[in-house]
Amino acid sequence: MVPLSLVIATACRRRMAAALAAMLFAPAAFAEEIVFKDQGNREVRLAKAAERVVSIVIPMASTVIALDGSTRKLVGMNPTAKSAVVEGILGKIFPEAKDIPSDVTAPNFVPNVEALTAANPDLVIQWGDRGADIVAPITNAGLTTMLILYGTEELTRDYMTMASKAIGKPERIGELVEWRDRVQKDIEAKATVIPDDKRPNVLYLGRALSDISASGTKGNYNAWSIALAGGKNASGELNGTVSVNKEQIAQWNPDVIFLNAFEAKLDINWVYKDPILSLTNAAKSKRVYKMPLGGYRWDPPNQESPLSWMWTANLLHPDIFKYDLRAEMKTAYKTLYNYDLTDGDIDNILWLKDQGASADYAQFEAR
Amino acid sequence: MIGLTDAVVRFGTRTILDRLSFSVAVGRSLAILGPNGRGKTTMLKALLGFQRLDEGSRVAPAIVGYVPQTGSSNQRYRAIDVTVMGRAAHLGLFGQPGPDDFEIAHAALERAGAARFADHFFDRLSGGERQLVLLARALATGSQAIVLDEPAAALDLRNQERLLDLLKSLREPRDKAIAFTTHDPNHALAAADDALLMMPDGQSLFGPVAETITPDHLERLYGVPMRVVELVGPAGERHQAVLPAFAGIRAA
Amino acid sequence: MTTMTQDEAVPAARRIHLARQTLIFALLLALLVIAFTVSLCVGRFSVPPGRALELIWQGISDPSRELAGIDERIVLLVRAPRVVLAALAGAGLAISGAGLQGVFRNPLVSPDILGISQGAAFGGALAIMLGIWGFPLIAMVFFCGMAAVILVGLLSRINGRSETVTVILSGLVISSMFSAVVSLLQFIADPNTSLPAIVYWLMGSFATATWERTLVAAPGLILGSCFLWMLRFRLNILSLDEAEARSLGANTTRERWLVFCLIAVIVGSQVAVSGIIGWIGIVIPHAARLLVGHDHRALLPAAAVLGAGFMVCIDTLARAATAAEIPLGVITALVGAPIFATLLRHQYRERTGS
Repeated sequence: MVPLSLVIATACRRRMAAALAAMLFAPAAFAEEIVFKDQGNREVRLAKAAERVVSIVIPMASTVIALDGSTRKLVGMNPTAKSAVVEGILGKIFPEAKDIPSDVTAPNFVPNVEALTAANPDLVIQWGDRGADIVAPITNAGLTTMLILYGTEELTRDYMTMASKAIGKPERIGELVEWRDRVQKDIEAKATVIPDDKRPNVLYLGRALSDISASGTKGNYNAWSIALAGGKNASGELNGTVSVNKEQIAQWNPDVIFLNAFEAKLDINWVYKDPILSLTNAAKSKRVYKMPLGGYRWDPPNQESPLSWMWTANLLHPDIFKYDLRAEMKTAYKTLYNYDLTDGDIDNILWLKDQGASADYAQFEAR
Repeated sequence: MIGLTDAVVRFGTRTILDRLSFSVAVGRSLAILGPNGRGKTTMLKALLGFQRLDEGSRVAPAIVGYVPQTGSSNQRYRAIDVTVMGRAAHLGLFGQPGPDDFEIAHAALERAGAARFADHFFDRLSGGERQLVLLARALATGSQAIVLDEPAAALDLRNQERLLDLLKSLREPRDKAIAFTTHDPNHALAAADDALLMMPDGQSLFGPVAETITPDHLERLYGVPMRVVELVGPAGERHQAVLPAFAGIRAA
Repeated sequence: MTTMTQDEAVPAARRIHLARQTLIFALLLALLVIAFTVSLCVGRFSVPPGRALELIWQGISDPSRELAGIDERIVLLVRAPRVVLAALAGAGLAISGAGLQGVFRNPLVSPDILGISQGAAFGGALAIMLGIWGFPLIAMVFFCGMAAVILVGLLSRINGRSETVTVILSGLVISSMFSAVVSLLQFIADPNTSLPAIVYWLMGSFATATWERTLVAAPGLILGSCFLWMLRFRLNILSLDEAEARSLGANTTRERWLVFCLIAVIVGSQVAVSGIIGWIGIVIPHAARLLVGHDHRALLPAAAVLGAGFMVCIDTLARAATAAEIPLGVITALVGAPIFATLLRHQYRERTGS
């Protein structure tokens, strides 16, 4: 449970964050007008809070829903975001989310301008670091666009804040950012004292079924969260996200393996059935885990990231981190979606049926 | 025996071959003459069996020994390898030439007078030498019919003489039906028993050389006046040749 | 040239020729064996060469043994099938290229020209997009490759015959069509799962080689290559121009299509397990031709051995040079081009006698 002093400090900080956020946005000529600079260094001008938002960026679809507390404002999303809605709990919390169009963009972020304009959005959220070719068609169609960049926690907080302002819910982001900050600092405090030789080698596999892919450390969010939770990126020597073969994984011999939540057909048996991977330290000590799929997938940065960090920390250092993940999840989902998670929901999100027997996973079971 | 009977070939509205009839019996040699564009190529294709006849019929052995004007010389095969290709029909789809086939190929090269460059690369040989190898290949097929396409066309005089000698020696055993196209009526006189004249008006004349290779027939064929000329051959014997009237220069 | 009598010159030339051919073949085979062995000893996971050789010997002498240690499994379950598959694929592609260049009488054609690779790639991309993996994927790839050849055949058939030029043009049309559809599939594919899979696979890789997959592809590769080898004399005939080939008794259209089908079997099998690998089918036959000449009786085996050795070397580089898997297409171009350029210059100098 959280101590009262922390609650009061939290409330103050929340108000400060809201004030700061208000100051970030220049006083507008019209009281309602919203103006800000996006992460592509462009000025974004909205006559009033956006009512119709399209997110080509995958995780932002669920973020917008969370910030708004409803699906009302989201009128278009990425097909890969749609699959997370359909496969995960967001489709249960907000059943109407399954009807939100996803034809506004191809999965590779190339917009379908006709579908996009038909959705008549006030605001389109798009990546700013994947080239102008995916941005120009949107701006040329005269649609207000907000560009965001991937990779670090700072960027993530920043663009979530922008989004909350843009949809006219500036008061929402304060507590979410503050939550992230609190959890990050809490984990960091305990993790910094972990000596290097006690940090496990952790391998996150972005793809496994087609070819196998892993990532280097620079600019990679997964690598960052592994380091945050007191681990080392086993694939740190790589440059960017690339294909690797099983022999290389055997050579790295990771202590922990995290499998992505993107491939629905992927589960931890994929590792245990493989003649090479089953001989890694991770497999031998049963430290193979598939990333959970909650309101969104826990691999990339999104509104549920602190839960992901806590989950990771608890698994990497169960002797040091003892977050009550189920309680945290219930609190978070109430705040984010105004939803009461059932025990069955949590079991599904954490894949308890499939990996309940994995090392240190019993701590996540319902009491 | 090889030949066409009442062969008709049409390309669209044009009739290329109009009831063409001729034949070459085993042991005889036929020279085929005709101006350019008259359809000699079509006739040759028909004779070899590559050209469908709209009317008429063709008689020929299953494999015809074909000596093209030039071989596909962009391939670096040795002459013996080119020759042994003639054995293909006897070997079937997946067959490989054995020692017997190579013996036959060597014998064919001998007969064609090309044995001395059997192991040389085909594309390194001169035009005349290549032709001998191609003839060897045709002989190696074992066919009773040999068809040569303008065998003398690209040859210098020396090689022309050699070739004519070769054609004569081929005919000597009287065991093959030989047909060759040529632009020079003297080749017909030298090496053929019969001649086929494909006239420009679409008709054709077929018969023994003595009857067909005459100045008026040739004039009709080429549209150029022709003269018979007598000369003394290399061994002192009398030779008769037929030349176009414009040959040489006006004498004083 | 030293002067010789006619009687001596002929057998001497033949002996020199034979000796040279034997030497070249011996060298090529030796290179292949060395490449094979070195490959099995090399990799990101450190296994001392002595131990690797010991494991190979154990694997050959007792194939049913349980493999427990990681080094055993790496050498015998990861490297061995991969090297074998690379060798078979390299040999198959090279033989296909050699046969095709003979049939088309054109040194610039490669198996891609019949649209097989593109058709097979389409099958694979479609399967990946539909979430089909494993053997159904391989089957789909294979059949789409054959379908491409059949389409080319239908398209090029005029008056009951298909001329060479028409076949090439039809192949271009069909392969462009399949290429375009594959691009389209890439466009709509899920960028987190399908798209990278499709792209990576299109660039060609043996990374997914297991004994199972190798044994699935092997029959097609081996049988196709064997039949092409049996046609080696026939290919000499087919490499002549149309009239000559037919006069020698070849049913050119039917036999050409037999060659195409065999090539489709080979390439379809190869693409099914390792994606599109270009370059081998066009360059290795050239190199082999520079070494042993045009006669397919020497050219086909030379191309096969050279292709196998080359592919094994390339694949070893791809999997062991860096921590990441380098796509094969990148390396074949980077390595093959300079080697080929050198060969060509040498040949040109020889030809022009300078």
